[in-house]
Parts: sequence; structure tokens; C-alpha cells
Amino acid sequence: MKEAVEKLVETACRALSGLEEDPRALDQARIRFLGRKGELAQLFKELGKVPEQERREVGRLLNVAKLRLEEIFSEAALRSRDLEAARRESIDVTVPGRLPPAGRLHPITQTAMEVCRVFNWLGFETVEGPEIELDYYNFEALNIPKDHPAREMQDTFYISEEVVLRTHTSPIQVRTMEKRKPPVRVIAPGRTYRRDSDVTHTPMFHQVEGLMVGKGICFGDLKGILTTFVHQMFGPEVGLRFRPSFFPFTEPSAEVDIECVMCRGGGCRVCKGTGWLEILGSGMVDPEVYKYVGYDPEEVTGFAFGLGIERIAMLKFGIDDLRLFFENDLRFLEQF
Amino acid sequence: MLISIKWLSDYVDCPISPERIADGLTMAGLEVESLSLRYPQLKNILTSRIEAVEPHPNAELLKICVVSGPGGLRRIVCGAPNVRAGAIAPLALPGAELPNGLVREIKVRGELSKGMLCSEKELGLGEDHSGIWILPADTPVGVPLDEALGIRDLLMEVGITPNRGDCLSVVGIAREAAALCKTSVKYPPIAVDETGPAVDTLTTVTVDDPEGCPRYTARVIQGVKTGPSPEWLKDRLEALGVRSINNIVDVTNYVMMELGQPLHAFDFNRLLQRRIVVRKAEAGERFITLDGIERELPEGAVLICDGVGPVAIGGIMGGLNSEIEPDTRDVLIESAYFEPLSIRRTSRMLGIKTESSYRFERGTDPGGVLRALDRAAELMLEVGGGSIAAGRIDVYPNPIKAQEIVLRVDRANRFLGTRLSSREMKEILERIEMRAEALDSDRLRVIVPSFRGDITREVDLGEELARISGYDGIPVTSPAAAVEAAAFDPHQRVRGELKNLLAGAGFFEVINYSFISYESIRRLRYSEGDPRLAPIRLKNPLSDEQAVMRTTLLPGLLQNARYNFDRRSENFSIFELSKIFLPRKDGLQAEEPHHLAGVIAGKRVSQALYGDADVDYTDVKGVVEALCRFVRIDDVVFRAQSLPPWLDPCASASVFAKGERVGELGRVHSEVLEAYDLKRPIFAFRLDFDRLFALKGPVPVYKALPKFPPVPRDIALIADEKMPVEEPFDFIRSLYEPLLESVEIFDIFRSDQIGTGKKSIGYRLTYRAEDRSLTDEEVNALHVELVRKVTARFGISLR
Repeated sequence: MKEAVEKLVETACRALSGLEEDPRALDQARIRFLGRKGELAQLFKELGKVPEQERREVGRLLNVAKLRLEEIFSEAALRSRDLEAARRESIDVTVPGRLPPAGRLHPITQTAMEVCRVFNWLGFETVEGPEIELDYYNFEALNIPKDHPAREMQDTFYISEEVVLRTHTSPIQVRTMEKRKPPVRVIAPGRTYRRDSDVTHTPMFHQVEGLMVGKGICFGDLKGILTTFVHQMFGPEVGLRFRPSFFPFTEPSAEVDIECVMCRGGGCRVCKGTGWLEILGSGMVDPEVYKYVGYDPEEVTGFAFGLGIERIAMLKFGIDDLRLFFENDLRFLEQF
Repeated sequence: MLISIKWLSDYVDCPISPERIADGLTMAGLEVESLSLRYPQLKNILTSRIEAVEPHPNAELLKICVVSGPGGLRRIVCGAPNVRAGAIAPLALPGAELPNGLVREIKVRGELSKGMLCSEKELGLGEDHSGIWILPADTPVGVPLDEALGIRDLLMEVGITPNRGDCLSVVGIAREAAALCKTSVKYPPIAVDETGPAVDTLTTVTVDDPEGCPRYTARVIQGVKTGPSPEWLKDRLEALGVRSINNIVDVTNYVMMELGQPLHAFDFNRLLQRRIVVRKAEAGERFITLDGIERELPEGAVLICDGVGPVAIGGIMGGLNSEIEPDTRDVLIESAYFEPLSIRRTSRMLGIKTESSYRFERGTDPGGVLRALDRAAELMLEVGGGSIAAGRIDVYPNPIKAQEIVLRVDRANRFLGTRLSSREMKEILERIEMRAEALDSDRLRVIVPSFRGDITREVDLGEELARISGYDGIPVTSPAAAVEAAAFDPHQRVRGELKNLLAGAGFFEVINYSFISYESIRRLRYSEGDPRLAPIRLKNPLSDEQAVMRTTLLPGLLQNARYNFDRRSENFSIFELSKIFLPRKDGLQAEEPHHLAGVIAGKRVSQALYGDADVDYTDVKGVVEALCRFVRIDDVVFRAQSLPPWLDPCASASVFAKGERVGELGRVHSEVLEAYDLKRPIFAFRLDFDRLFALKGPVPVYKALPKFPPVPRDIALIADEKMPVEEPFDFIRSLYEPLLESVEIFDIFRSDQIGTGKKSIGYRLTYRAEDRSLTDEEVNALHVELVRKVTARFGISLR
């Protein structure tokens, strides 16, 4: 008898599957199992034949089974009604959505904003300076006198003998220190210009300059701040190295290389097989520069750095052609 | 600078591989840009023995050589006349890249050839192409050819920063490598065999310009035989990319490459009066340099003269009149120290850069001129014979004193963030040939060698300490600065916000060059005298396309539109928010205001499914209204007046914010479209961002939300097509009816019923009181009165 009850529930469940689609068949099934002369009712009738000592238990089982069957059938009926309704008035859910307008900021802007944001968090204030700049600020006060071989490192666009298109964002260092007393902690993004145009150079490009000057700031701090920056920008697992270099306005000077983001240091085309990518130049501010702005190099020390936004954006987005940035092809701009 | 590893190893014993040396130099600030084989074409070329020679079955002139090779014997088809069994010859394996192309397994007249036997010429090692290169019988077989010939070498390209003139030589790099390997440089030993008469009986040197030429030394060698250089000398120069000229000139170049001291060799007998005078060039002086060009010398240039006139431009280039000729017998060798700035200035003004000027302007070693002079004399004797006159001429009136710098150990450590002891610092500095002695527990007296002219200050020593001990070893620290929040400049912030607003409205940001062509401004139809046609010009632009600083953002945006039209992008909105450049009254620098401009084209909705209407005037106007609203400027009006010539006057307006003109917008003029070769209509806006920013509204003050319901009433007016829809609107508002909350245009339409030249405008007026619910009667009374005033004022009929 127990087996018969269990079997009934099982048969009913099986019989129900798929019946939601067909309300009439569902109704017939309900009568077959739960009707007055239905299969469950038959079992109830046989209860009398069950031996006395088991009758109570079987009766309980029958009641449980009845509840279960009623539940199954009412759920099926609900689904069946929903299906019926959906069949009558449903829309095609694959119809394209109405897109709200959505443009994008240029990848250079996005990258510059992100670089600045990292340094803003570190307490650096964003400042700006003129793009048409005096020779004095662009070179002279950065310890690059006329007829210095270092001028050859940067091909300059001239407006007049004394006025140039700034070749780097470094003049903002001088302008900032002229205006403020130490401590100074600034970051300066902007357009820069060099008279150079080929596959890897555009005559206009973007840099971000940084400067931190105060009491007791050391080369280790430069490493600390720039390490934090690299880890924020490229991820905490990216290795970096500081390599001696030369800039007339810093001493000591350091180029910062990061582990190639393409090959993870294994060596590839992007890093020319070295496993390293140069991403920024930096150094301790040269005492000569302090002389121009009236700071006392015995009192304050500090560091400066500059990085190319295009370079960072190319690495970040995997862009392999610098010139794309200034063609402003919609098919390019839409990707960022 | 190119450095041969083989040559380098003459002066320094490094127990580490060339790759490690390259890495070490890079990390010491001498960036090794590449490390490559001297003869890259000899990769995959082996020595092999021809074991047998068989005839080619299909060609009479070809033979099949059975040669030893990797993996056993292989058959090579060869047409050379001199192949014979037992000969040893270079074998190029498949994959070898010879100057004439890639070697491959190939069938030659039906016979497979697994490689190629090569001539000297095919290997790029000589001119002989008469047959394959038969190598000496004792040549080891089966080894790389460059090894077998003893010519295997690596070339290192080192990027030398402008401060390190001392590294522009093989010995210079050897000094850095020695510091790296904690060993010392083996300078070339010099023994000058002086057999000639005393030099001062032969010649004299007078220096009249000791500022430009602080030191001038010379030797004379007589009876040399000028001719081609021996192979070893040619080979070393060629490795570094220097062309061989003749033995005398080659020696001067060799010593320059070896020691970094540029030298000059004069034909002694062509120096008039056989003497040297060093003086400043006078204004307008002319001279023919050895490249055959007559040049006008800049006044003040250091000039090397004989008893009569110039024979060389000091430190830059010699003269045609005294150069070494095939018949030169006696030579005067010049080894001098020229003032770097003077050389730099002369070189720049003449537009000549030579290996010599490159080194002098970066600073040579005033203490090393005699070593180079002796070395050159010694080598000339070796390669050209003759006899060296006894003694040297050395004019050095004001000897340059060695730099003596006091290094404060504690300060250096605090500056770098290191914890080096005084002893450690001394040891590090001694590795780069400085002499250091402790003055007391904190101070070191450091004497800088004469070749390091770049080190003059304590801070320079700090750099050397960091560089030699390694930047990697300096601990990473956090600045112990006070916690201060960074301030934010509102101008920058608003720029960022407007960019985001536009991106959210479907605009893509573009970035165009700040320099444009003058023609591209003219195409905007500005008339003569317009300030936009007086841009700042570059003195040395790269091209006419980038010749002037932009006075407007429009040319860039219109060119972007053209570029994208050409690439089948026809529906877009783009903008640029950036600087334009205007001349400043003082003539220096520029005004650099920020402008914001954008252009839109094509369909209003990007999905064709949801509409195919084209953008029009209302789209650009809506953008500008949204921008003004964002910066909280309420008082903005649009008037078809004071329009710039690039806009179509039929569909354009100027923007006035708080009464001030801040920009314009509308349809771009058809003539401008034509000038820019734009085939479709374009709508554009332009705003003076800086003015807009100045007019920015204050932080809003909260107004309590209304508690009572609004009551709407509509008016429909039929008006002449010419009447601006805004006029009745402004009039209604000017009545200042206190219960009238807002007016909105909800409908504009035209139909035959209304009549041509007419339009119907629907205005919705919303009434509301702050303190009670308005009754219908109250509103109706107000509304009727208002409608009466409107019709009375405009004389237009209600529909």
C-alpha cells in the first residue's frame, strides 16, 4: 500500500510535465488523480483493507500525498495561466533596445585624468601653465643654457628668439616655485611640442609633470611615490626599476622602467626584447634650479618627474600607432 | 656610441658575459640600446670540408659537392670553378641571411642543394668573387666561420647622455665597465721612440685665444709614408662605423675612438712658415674646409692658423689647404682642449657637426691631451714609419685645476635615503678613479679626475654614489611630509564636468594639433582685419599645414568631420575643449583662452529603427542650453545677430549669457562646407569657455517644494511665420503675474488651414499658489486677462 501511494505521486508528477502548455489536458490530469473517482480516491477506498496496525500510518501517508498532489496541480495551473497570458500579449524580447546617446572622452584625456587622480590622492595639486612659453622658463631656469648640448635632446618650435612652444611641462616647476614657498606638491598635465614627426613622434604630445619640494625629501621618497604611482596605474604586481640618466634640471636623475605589460618581462616586440618599458623620467631637483626661484638648497630638497601620456595610454589600451591619437577617427574614439 | 666588445677587452678584464656588462652599464646610466654580432650575416655559416666533387647530371657547368656539415654529409650544388675535394670553405646553411638574400634548400636543375658554398663577396667580407673562398688547410672544420677566422665580435650601441663626454671612447666605456667589475682599467702603454730633432727647432705654437683654446699640444713626425692602413687598423675603425681614409688620418681617428680625444694631423710642409697660431676668427673671415666648402666663419670662432692664414676651424674641421695628401711626408699632430661652449656655438652657427665637435662640445679631458698626442705619434710611426721629433709642444698658460669637493657623509645619506659609511663612500668613489680622503668623521675631500668635467658640486658626487652603488639598493620610503589635501582648481573641474556632460550627451571628444594652416582659417570666410586672421606664427614649422597657432577650434573640427565622412562615418557628434592662442599686446607669449566647440552631423538617433530624422538647429541649440544650464546660467538668449561668417545666417544664432556674447551656433555656411570639401550639412557650436566660466551661477539655494496642485491652461496663437516664438513667451513672463508659475511652448505647427506664411504656436501656462489650491474661477479670470493682453500686444488671433 505504501508503495502504491508513492508510486501514485511519482506518476502524477511525470504525467504533469509539459502539460502547462495545454490547459485542457492539465484539467483532465487533475480529474484523473484528484477527482472524486480519481486514483487517489481509489486508494482512500482501499484503506479499509489495510491491516489495523498499519491503517493509521497509511492514512497519514495518503493525506500527505493528497496535499502534495494539490500543491503540484495548483502550481501547474498558475504556470499554465501565465503561459496562456504570455501567448496572448507578449512582445518580442529580442527587439533592439533604444540606446541613450553615449559618447566618450578621448583616451588621452582619460589617461591624463587617471594619472592626475592617482597623484591627487597622494596630495599633489593639479596646476597648469602656458603652452607658448618663454625660453627662460622652458630652458634657462631649468639649467639648460643656450649652447648647451642638452638643448639638442629636444627639437624646439620657435615663435621668436625668446618665445617657444614648450618642449616639456617642466617650466611649470619653475613657475610654481616662483609663486609658492615650500612645501610644494604639484602635478601639471598639458600639451607639449617638439619639432619631430615620424612613426614614433608627433609634433604635439602630452606630458604630466610632478614636483615635490620640502624639508628632508630624499631620493628614497622619489622611489616611494613613483612606485605607488606605477602600482596604482598598472597593478601592484608590475615590477619597476630606476635607472640612472641625465636631465639638466635634476641630479641625480632616474629613468623609470616598468616590466613590459605585454610580455610580463619575457621580451617582445613592444619592449624590443628587453622586458622593460621606459615610462617616465625623474630626479632630485638640481640645486641650480633652486637658485633661479630663490629656494635655499641647504634648506629644502625635492624631486620632479615627467611622463608621456601617449606612452601610458598606448600601454594601457594596447595601441600600437601613436598617430591614431590625433586622427580622431570615430572608429578609434568609440573604442575607449 | 658603438663599442666593440673585442676592443673593449683590451682595456678591462671583466669576468662576466657581454650581456651582463650591457645590463650593468644600463643600470649605471649608460643605456645599452643594442648588443649585436659584428657580422650578423655570418650566423649559420660554418667551415666545412669538401669531401667529394661529383658532376651535376643535368648541367655541365655545375658540380655537386659532398661536404661535411651538421648531421653528417650533405650535397651542395655549386658552380664555382675552384671547388676541389679536400678544400675547406665557408658553408651557408639554409636559414643564413647573406647580404644578397636568404639561403634556402633549393633544387638546382633537378638536384637538391642543402646550403651554399660561399665566396668572400657573397659573405660581405671582401670583393673576391672568382670562386668559393678556399680557407687555409689548417682551418678547423665544423665551427662558426667568424670564430674560425678570429673575427667574432659583438657590437654594443651605448646611448651617451650629454653630460658624459668622457664615455665617448672605448677607454671611457672601459672605465665604467671596470667600476662595474670592481677592477681597474689597463690603459694602453705608451712608449714614444723619439729619434728626430728637437721639436722646438722645427716649429712654434702661439695661442692668442686661451679662453677658446686653454691647451694646445703638438708633435712633429718626419718622413712618414702615407698610404693605406694595415688591416687591423681598418678593421677596428670599420667595426665602429668609421671609414678608412689613409694611415695618418686613420691613426687620429683610432686614437679619438680609443681615448676620446679628437686629434688633427696637418701636412707640416703645407703650413706656411711651419708654425701654428691659435686665434679668434674675425668678422666676415672666409675659409675652405676639407669637405671643399667655403664657409664664412662666425666671429670669435677658434681658428687654427699657420704663419699666414687659417688652416682649421678649431675642434670642428680641418682645412683643404693643409690636409694629409698621398705625398705627405711630415706631419704635425694637434691634440688640444677647446672650450665646450665655444665649440658648440661655432658648430651650431656653421651647421657642422663632426665626431670631433661632438666630443669637444661635451667636454674632453684637458689632462688627457698629452697621452693622446703620444699615442698618435707612436701609432703613426708604427703604420707609416719616419722619425718622431724629440719633445712635445704644450701651450697651457692657465692649467685647469682638479676639482676638489667636500662631501658631507650625513647629508649625502639624508639626500639619497641611504646609510653608507664614510669608508663605503670612499670605496665607491675610488672605483671611478676619484681620490677621497677623510677630513673628519663626516667629511671626505674628493679629488675629481680631469676627464670628469661634469662633476663640480657635492650633489654631483651624490649622484655618483647612487649610480655606482646602484639605484636598486636605495630603500623605498614615503615622504615624511605633513598631511595636506590637494586643492582643486574650479576651472579645471568645470572643464572636466562639461566634457563628461557632452560625452553623456553622445559627443566624442577629439584632440587636434594646436597648430593649423593659415589657409584653414581663411576658409572660414573671415574678412581681412579679423583678429583670427592674425595668428601667432611658428618660426620653424614642419609644414604649411602646421604653420600658425590656432585662433579658433573650428578648422580642426571641420577637418575631423571631413576625415570621418571619407571613412563612411556619417552620423556623429564631436567636440573639443581646449586652448586657442591669440597674440598678446606685449608681443611676448600669448593669450591662451579655453574654447569649447563641437560639430554634429547626420541622423539624430543612431538607430535607424527608431527614427531617421536629420539633426538640425535645435540639436546644437539644445546642447548649448544644456551646457549653460549646467553651469547655472539662467539668463541665456539666442539672437540671429553678430554672426561670424562661417555660419549660415538663415539658421544660426549668437549666444548671449547675462547679456554678454559668449559664442554662436547653427548651420555651417555652405561656402565653408565647400571649402572644407564637406558633402553633407554640419551644425556647430562654439563657446568662450573662460567667459562662460566667469558667468557661472552661484551654488543654488533650496526652495521649498510646492504643497498645492498646479493648474494648467493653454493658449494657441496663429502668428506670422517671421515672428519669433519666443516673443509672446517673453512678453507673458514680463507681466510678472505672481500666480503664473511657468510658460512652455508645447506645440508648433503649420497647415493649409492656417494658411501659408503662418504658424500655430501652443503655449502652456501653469498657475499655482504657494498657500492654497487655486479655484477654476480664479484661474479662468487670470487667464482670460492674460490672453487679452497677449492678443492686444501681438494682434494675433486665437485658433
